Amino acid sequence: MNRTIVTAAPQPAAPAKPATPDTAAAVIPDTTIAINSPTPMSQRIVHYEIEAKYDPAKHSVDANEVLTYHNVTGQALDHFPFHLYQNAFQPNSTFVRGSKLMGSRDFHYEKWEDKYHGSEDIKSIEVVGQGDLTQNLQFIAPDDSNQDDKSVVELRLAKPIPNGASVQFKIAFHTNFPETQARSGWKRDFLLGGQWFPKVGVFWHGAWNCHQYHNTTEFFADFGVYDVKLTVPQYEVIGASGVELSNVNNPDGTKTLTYHGDDIHDFAWTVSPRYKVRESTYQAQMGPIKLRFLMQPAHWSQAERHEKITRDSLDRFEQFYGPYPYKTLTVVDPEPDSAAGGMEYPTFITGESSWFMPEGFHLVELVVEHEFGHQYWYGMVATNEFEDAWMDEGINSYTEVKVLDSILGKNTSILNIGGVTVGEREQQRLSYISAADRDPMAQNAYAYLNMNSYGGITYGKTASVLLTLEGIIGEDTMAKAMRTYFMKYRFTHPTKEDFLKTVEEVAGRDLHWYFNQAIYGSQVYDYEILSVNSFPVAWYEDKKDNKEGKDKKGDKGKNDTVYQSYVTLHRKEDFEMPVILEVKFDNDEKVRETWDGKSRWTRFGYQKKAKVISAELDPDHTVQIDHNDFNNAFVVESTSKPAQKISNYWLFAMQWIAQAMAWWAV
Amino acid sequence: MNDQKGILSSGLGRVMRNKRYIFWFWLLNLTLAYFATSGFRRAAHAILDHRFYSERLTHGFDLGVFIAMLMRPEFPPTDSLSVPALCFGFLFFLATALFLPGVFLGYSSTYRLPREEFFRACGRNLWRYIRIMVVAGIVMGIIAGLLFAANIAIVKKAGESTSELLPVKLQFIGMGVIFLVMTTLRIWFDLAEADAVLNDQRAVRKSIAAGFRHTFRSLGRLLGSYVIAALVAIIILLGGIWIWLKAVSPEGVIGAFALSQITLLLLLIPRFWQRGIAVSYWQQKMLVPVVAMKPVEPLPPAPPLNPEPVPVTRAPVA
Repeated sequence: MNRTIVTAAPQPAAPAKPATPDTAAAVIPDTTIAINSPTPMSQRIVHYEIEAKYDPAKHSVDANEVLTYHNVTGQALDHFPFHLYQNAFQPNSTFVRGSKLMGSRDFHYEKWEDKYHGSEDIKSIEVVGQGDLTQNLQFIAPDDSNQDDKSVVELRLAKPIPNGASVQFKIAFHTNFPETQARSGWKRDFLLGGQWFPKVGVFWHGAWNCHQYHNTTEFFADFGVYDVKLTVPQYEVIGASGVELSNVNNPDGTKTLTYHGDDIHDFAWTVSPRYKVRESTYQAQMGPIKLRFLMQPAHWSQAERHEKITRDSLDRFEQFYGPYPYKTLTVVDPEPDSAAGGMEYPTFITGESSWFMPEGFHLVELVVEHEFGHQYWYGMVATNEFEDAWMDEGINSYTEVKVLDSILGKNTSILNIGGVTVGEREQQRLSYISAADRDPMAQNAYAYLNMNSYGGITYGKTASVLLTLEGIIGEDTMAKAMRTYFMKYRFTHPTKEDFLKTVEEVAGRDLHWYFNQAIYGSQVYDYEILSVNSFPVAWYEDKKDNKEGKDKKGDKGKNDTVYQSYVTLHRKEDFEMPVILEVKFDNDEKVRETWDGKSRWTRFGYQKKAKVISAELDPDHTVQIDHNDFNNAFVVESTSKPAQKISNYWLFAMQWIAQAMAWWAV
Repeated sequence: MNDQKGILSSGLGRVMRNKRYIFWFWLLNLTLAYFATSGFRRAAHAILDHRFYSERLTHGFDLGVFIAMLMRPEFPPTDSLSVPALCFGFLFFLATALFLPGVFLGYSSTYRLPREEFFRACGRNLWRYIRIMVVAGIVMGIIAGLLFAANIAIVKKAGESTSELLPVKLQFIGMGVIFLVMTTLRIWFDLAEADAVLNDQRAVRKSIAAGFRHTFRSLGRLLGSYVIAALVAIIILLGGIWIWLKAVSPEGVIGAFALSQITLLLLLIPRFWQRGIAVSYWQQKMLVPVVAMKPVEPLPPAPPLNPEPVPVTRAPVA
């Protein structure tokens, strides 16, 4: 274990541009201070230089931002859209309306309170060489035309920016954080500064891609360089994306910390006066990583758990998919009840815990692993989270199953207490089948029926679909496809077609039949053993003899009886896929059959000196998208143990509750 | 302390001398619950009996499979499981109320109470018990409601603090206080119930008043005894579950059933012990003593009547 306690040693200053450049000829720096690579790893489109001062009393930030944008779109750009995410926390915003209608991940709006109000105001915006263009700002609502939504603003330029040129925006802004409802904001004296500055959209496939902030969407941004100076009170403990370059105390009781990030597409930070800090170093494939854990005081005893799962996750991800190139990773244990847990930002993630967290309940491991996985599926493979949520959340859920299976066991990766177990793959399947036919995976994240469908499909279905794909093309081939996809598309914005094409290329097979149903469609998979029958061929002969032959098990005479057996399979739903059937006979013989699964039903018949004792579909248990696993098998001789066992639990619970009621009532 | 030990051991002695009551209440508890859970049992057998997938419930307890079972449309909706369960709880409560007077009478007897006397006491005191239960329900309901509301408000307020553990600690303290207050109220109405039966008190208000007076007159002694019995119940429950987890194999359906029922049988003892304590206390402190009358002494023989007429003297009238 390479654990060392490292103090925040200042690193060499970034050769970044000064915060107030005065020409439009600025270039994006090619620094590698924050990565274990001698050269930049992404095509750097943006360079954000932000100087921000945090006011803990008002939960607000006053800041100046200089954004350098490098136009590589192949065309001149005469307008730029910006995300103002914090404006989503307003009562008539698309985000809040959606939450009221569809539900929300972390928060329920029962009544509006002032503390929920967030805002992100651009005080002024100047385009270097074109002057102050604040008057040209106009809110737009490209997704739903909601005139009250202010989460996207567009700036029309006086002169277009030609292809290949750079433009600099000087923006003065004020962000007022709300009490946390989703991913960012304050709670008590804690703050998570996520999505807090005006952020330019992504020019993608010939047009600007800058969606409004919805209750079911996350984010999309270009790679670049971040130089951020944060001024906060000296009593605050702070964590942020990127590497810390300096930490200077100011005479007014504040301190200014300077951070630098390379090849990242967002910058988040957090403060709380009560964080307890644990630091260590992990030796990754490309170089050392400084691990930093900001823990709640009441969770300090869990710091080691956080570190262990982080190290294990790093190990598995590097082994399975590819190297983690950044020099830092900050794991934040956020304020309890803050709706800020379980969130990912580049090199910065939030976990989830509580003062009571038994070892066998793996919530800490589940959340930290999941959010760390986003360093790959979002952080580096930066898909469009507005449009293809399954490509970050879903692919991440699939790799979460693989990684947690290998760390915590296949059927015990979520819970393993007193013989009660749950595995992550089962949890993902259950999440999927709770909303199986509601929506396809391939659709905009804000177009789902409701929050349950969004969660069940983007997370649960994707994980189940990819686990099933593993069964179709083989586990090794799937592993190779995932690694190929990561290495090929890291630091880019791949589409779903890029991913699916990579899988097909690696597998060397046409998989459209599967993708069309599983990813582009909402078909539901459910094949069942409809019936199993065995009867003597000569059933019409001496009835008594047959009966004796049936009743006397193990009787030599029995083996002389020839039985006609039938197994009937039924496709209950609309997903068509080849299925494997395994039939077992009472002479220990096993037969495997394959059915193309296209017709509604089929029947297999056998004539043997043995009766069928069981029939099972998918005997290798490779199909994870099955809507009903119970009807996959039929065992002729019933076993009542499972039902008796859980009925006994239920009986015990009922008796105990009745006794407890009677204790107090009479 | 000696007094407390006295009613504790005396109360337990009464329970042990009348073990059959525990057995019958357990049998009633089991029988009613068996019928109340028949819907669950039928559905579970229908879904699980012929399936390989259900094996994950046999060799362990895969919560995922259990949830998958609950999610099946052929599994009855929650209402159809919870309504019989509620009905069962209510029936058990009624049956307890019905038979409790006999139990109190049995605990107060120095001999094995004949069946006829037991049921006579039950019938004779039924209406009295219903009235006591109504009063107890109102009093306990109001006080429990107020205490829980206060606890929730305090914990919510504490949630604004920066200490994560403060609301947790206050929650525990609050629950402890509620437990003590509710136990005190239980003592009050247990004494009232004992008084109604043993004093053959038709005016239950007098029993309730007597119970109230004595509860607070001997609060420390009674509350201490009741809390000890409650702690024993907690130990029995946790011990039973611990043995279940450690000693019974996941496949052992019969072993699990036997152990769970033994635990439930033993769990009845502490509450009956509390009732035994109430009877002991009633006999020690609330029983109206029978005052021994002095034997009536024979009067001296009356003097013979005077044959001579006694002259009547008249006082002068003013």
